Amino acid sequence: MDETILDAFRKNGLSRRAFLKFCAATASLLALPPAAAAAMAEKLATTLRPTVIYLSYQECTGCLESMTRSFSPTIEHLMFNNISLAFNDTLQAAAGEAAEAARKEAMRKAWGKYILIVDGAVPMGAGGAYCVAAGQSAVDDLRHVAQGAAAIIAVGTCAAFGGVPYAAPNPTGAVPVSEVVRDRAIINVSGCPPIPEVMTGVVVYYLSFGMPALDRQGRPLTFYGNTIHDRCYRRPFYDEGRFAHTFDDEGARNGWCLYELGCKGPVTYNACATLKWNQGTSFPIQSGHGCLGCSEPDFWDKGGFYRPLPAATGHWPRGEVLGGAALGGAVVGVGAAALARSRQQAAAAKSAKEVNSPPPKEDSHEH
Amino acid sequence: MTSTDTQFPLELNQPRLSIQKPEPRYDKQGEMADTERLDRAMRGFVKDFGATAALYMESCVHCGQCAEVCQYYVQTGDPRYTPIWKLEPFKQAYKREVGPFAPFFRLFNLKRRVTVQELEDWQDLIYDSCTQCGRCTMVCPMGIDIASLVGLARHGMAAAGLVPHELWATVERAKREGSPLGATPAVLKDRIAWLEDEHGVEIPLDLERADVLMTISSIEVMKYPQSIVALARIMKRMGASWTFRSEGYEATNFSMFAGDQQGQREASLKLIEAAIAVGARTLILPECGHAYQALRWQGANLYGKPLPFRVLQIAEYLAEGIRQGKLQLQPVQNSATFHDPCQIVRRGGATEAPREVLHALGVDLREMDAHGAYNWCCGGGGGVVTIHRADPLRYKTYQIKMQQVEDTGAEMLVSTCSNCRQTFDDGQAHFHWDKTAQSLLELVADHLVTEQE
Amino acid sequence: MSTETDLLDFARGPALEAALIILVFGMFWRLVGVLVLRRPRDLSEPRVRHAWLGGIRTIFTRMWPRREFRPRILHWEAVSYVFHFSLALVILGLLPHILLIRDITGLSWPGLPTGVITFAAGVALISLLALLAHRATHPVLRQISNFDDYFSWLLVFTPLLTGLMAYYHLGGRYEDLLAVHMLSAELLLAWLPFSKLAHTVLFLFSRGVTGTIYSRRGAQT
Repeated sequence: MDETILDAFRKNGLSRRAFLKFCAATASLLALPPAAAAAMAEKLATTLRPTVIYLSYQECTGCLESMTRSFSPTIEHLMFNNISLAFNDTLQAAAGEAAEAARKEAMRKAWGKYILIVDGAVPMGAGGAYCVAAGQSAVDDLRHVAQGAAAIIAVGTCAAFGGVPYAAPNPTGAVPVSEVVRDRAIINVSGCPPIPEVMTGVVVYYLSFGMPALDRQGRPLTFYGNTIHDRCYRRPFYDEGRFAHTFDDEGARNGWCLYELGCKGPVTYNACATLKWNQGTSFPIQSGHGCLGCSEPDFWDKGGFYRPLPAATGHWPRGEVLGGAALGGAVVGVGAAALARSRQQAAAAKSAKEVNSPPPKEDSHEH
Repeated sequence: MTSTDTQFPLELNQPRLSIQKPEPRYDKQGEMADTERLDRAMRGFVKDFGATAALYMESCVHCGQCAEVCQYYVQTGDPRYTPIWKLEPFKQAYKREVGPFAPFFRLFNLKRRVTVQELEDWQDLIYDSCTQCGRCTMVCPMGIDIASLVGLARHGMAAAGLVPHELWATVERAKREGSPLGATPAVLKDRIAWLEDEHGVEIPLDLERADVLMTISSIEVMKYPQSIVALARIMKRMGASWTFRSEGYEATNFSMFAGDQQGQREASLKLIEAAIAVGARTLILPECGHAYQALRWQGANLYGKPLPFRVLQIAEYLAEGIRQGKLQLQPVQNSATFHDPCQIVRRGGATEAPREVLHALGVDLREMDAHGAYNWCCGGGGGVVTIHRADPLRYKTYQIKMQQVEDTGAEMLVSTCSNCRQTFDDGQAHFHWDKTAQSLLELVADHLVTEQE
Repeated sequence: MSTETDLLDFARGPALEAALIILVFGMFWRLVGVLVLRRPRDLSEPRVRHAWLGGIRTIFTRMWPRREFRPRILHWEAVSYVFHFSLALVILGLLPHILLIRDITGLSWPGLPTGVITFAAGVALISLLALLAHRATHPVLRQISNFDDYFSWLLVFTPLLTGLMAYYHLGGRYEDLLAVHMLSAELLLAWLPFSKLAHTVLFLFSRGVTGTIYSRRGAQT
C-alpha cells in the first residue's frame, strides 16, 4: 500500500480535477480559506494513504452509522481514496481470528504511523472484564494499540467523555479514551452521535494539515468552536421572549425557541446548527425538540433533558428541604430570643435592685 | 446625687446667658466608676428591647433621609445630628446583646462593646440635639420610630448618671418638691388663692369628688398663671364639675425627658391616683405636649391596667364642649397660624381638636406650609429648653419656625403647649421678633360670649 | 473526570441548593428571633380601633415621601426607585430567571424581550454607581455607612454586571461567565438575611408596626 491519496483517486477512476474539487469542498466544509484548498491538494497528492485502525468498545455503533451517512467525503470515498481502513469490526467482511490477524499485521507494518480511531468508552471495572474481545480487555488493548498510533481520534461522546456507560451509576467503571491514554493529546470528536461530516472532515483535516486546533476538551475548534445557541436560527425568538411552553402548543407550532422545554443549546458546542444532519436537512431544534447537549460531558446527568437550563440540577425535594430550613431558622431564632430575654431579665433584676424597686412585670411603656 | 440644681440653677425668668464657645462638657451624676456607669447604661439599654424596638434596630438601611428632615441637621449641616446616628451606641448594644445574631457577634467580636467615652460623646446627641419631635419617624422609609428609640436610649443614660446637669437638676427638684420649678403644693395653694382673689374666679382645690380632675404644668403656675384663670372661667361657663388635687396636679414629667423610668412612673401615678380618689370620669391635661405623651399614651402601661377615666388634652376638652354647644365664642378678628405641638399632634394624634377650636373662634387660619403632623418642632421640647449649653443650637433651629410663621403672613401665632410657648418667648427675646405664641386656652377664655346675667 | 463545566455544574447544583437553604434559614432566624421578643400590650385607650388596618396602609404610604419632605429627598429617592425597579425587571422579567423561580417555587409568568432586560440591567448598573458615589460623598451617608452598606452594594452590582457579561460573552467562556454570574447571585442570596438587604422582608414589619401604633393614636402615619 504505497500509493498516495492522489494515486488512489486515479485508481478509482477519478480525475485530478475531481481530486481538486474534493479538496475545495472539504476545505469549505472545514471553514478554511480558499488557499487552504490548494494546500490540501498539494499535501494529499503526496501523502500516502495511511492505515487506519478503528476500534470499538462500549458503544452502540451509532457513531459508525452516522459516519456512513457522511455526504462529503462519503465513507466509501474516504475508505477507497483517502485512507486504508485496516480494521473495523462492523464494516469488515472478515471475522474472528482472521480479522485479528489482519489487524496485527497492519499494525506491525505501519507501527508508529497509523491513525487510531476509537469508538465507545472503556470499562475499568473488574479489571476490565466488562468488555473483552479475543481474550483481550478493552483497556489493555487500547493501551497497546495507542502506543503505535500517530494520532488518536476518539469518536462519539462515549469515547470522548464516557457517554452512556459513564452516566450514573456507571456500574462498569467506564472512562473516556483520554483517561486510559494519558500521555498524549486525543482528538475528541464528541456527539451522540457526531455529525457525519464532522467525523470525516476531521480525518481529512488531519491528513491534510496534521493536528487541528483543539478546544480545552480536545475537540476541533472548527466544528466545536461555537455553541448551538449562538448559531441557532431560532435565536431571534429567544431574544424577543417568545418561547414554546409545551410541545405542540402555539409557540411550538410557530417554531419558537425551545429554551423552556429544556434546550441545552447555550452550553453545547457542536456544528448542528450550521452543518445540520442528513446532508443539511435538519437538526433537533429545527425538528421541534430541544438540544440534548449530546456533545458535552455528562449530558445524561445534567438534571434532565426537559428541565430548563437555569433550573437547579439537584433533585432535592424543594418543599421539604426549604420548609426544613425555615423551621430550623425559626427554632434557632426562638433560641436566640430566649437567650436574649433571659439576659434582659437578669439586667432588669439587677437594675431594679439598684433602685430598690420590684422589677416591673411588663416593662416598657413604649416599645 | 450631687445637688446640681444649686450648681446650675434653672431660672426661666432670667434672661438667658448666651454661651459663646461652650466647652465640650460630659455631665455626670454620682460618684460611680466608669465601669459601673457603663454597666448600668448597658443594662438600661438591654432591658428595653422588646420585639418592636428590636425590629427597628434590624431595619435601618442607612439611607440618611432622617437627617434631611431633622431640624438639627438641616440647620447645621453636621452629620452627627443624623437621627439614627444618635442611636448608634444603643444599636450597637442591641446587636451585641439582644439581637438574633448576638451570640455570634459576641463570639467573634463583630460588634464591639460600647465604651464610656462613646456614651459621653453621645450625651449631647441624645439630649441636646433631640426633642423627640418625631419628624424622623415620619420620613423613614422603613418606618423606624427613631424618636421613641431616643426616649428608650435615655433610660440607659439616666441609669448611668449621664444626663445633662440642668435637666437632671430639674428632675431632682421635681422628685423632691413635687414640681420642677418650685410650684410645690403650698405654692400652688397660695397662687390659687391669689388668683381667685385677683381675678374673681373660682378655682376648686382638693374637692372630695368631681367629674373632672384638672392638672396643670408648673410652667403655667410659675410663668403663665393667667392660663389658670382662663381655665377657671371656661370651666365655670361650661358648668363643669372639676377640681385640682394637691396630691396630683403636676402634669409635667421631667423624669420622662431625662429617662428616669421610676420617676416617670411615680409622677404619672400621682395623677392617676388623684383622679381615682375624686372619682373623676375625665382627667384633663393642660397645654403641655409631653404631659399628653406621658399620661394619655404611656400612663395606663405604667399603671398596669387600663385607666378608669378618659384622658383629654385641654384643647380636646374645649373642642368637645364646643361640639356639645356648651361654649359660645366671639369671633377673633385677626388672622392666625397654628403651631402644632409635636407630642400632641404628630406623636399624640390630637390634630383636629385645636383646629376645631380655632374654627369656632372664627379665626382666619393660615396654615404653615408644613403643618399638622409635618410641622417643624419649636426646638424646646424633650427637655432641650432646660439645657443651657444647647441654646445656640436651639436658636438655630428656631429660625425655621420664625420663617414658617412669617411665610404665612398671619398676624398671630397660636399654640397649645406651654413649653413651646416658653421656647417661643425666649426665641422672641433673642431674635427681637415681633411675634410669639399665644395660648389657645387663653384665646378661648378671652373670647367667651359675655354671659347674660 | 474534571470537565469544563465543573464550575457551572457546581453553581447549578450544590451551590444553588446551599444558597437557598441559607437564605430561608437565615431569614427565619432573624425574623423569628426578633418577633418573639417581649411584646408588651398597650393598655392605653385607643383613639382608633382596628389599628392594624392602618399598619397595612402604612406599608404602602411609606413607599413615597410626603410632600413636605420631598424638596430635600426626592431626587435620591427617585434614583433609588429607578434602581429597584430596573433590578426587579431584570430579575423577574428574564425567562431564564423565571424558569429558575418556577423550578424552586412552581410560580411562573411571561418573560420580556431580552433587549428590554439588557436596557434595564444597564440602567440598574448606572443608578447603582450613582448611589455609591452619593454614599461615598454625602456627609450624612459617610457618617453612618459601614461595611454592610458597601459589601451589599458589591453583591448586588456583581450579578448584574456578570449577567450582562455572560449574556454577551464578554470576558471569557460562556460556561465560566454563566457560572460566575450564578455564583455571585448565590452569594447575594446567602448574604441577604444577615445584612441590610433583609429590608426586602423587614420593611413589611417595620412599616406595619409603626403604622399600627400611630394609627391607634389617631395620628398620621
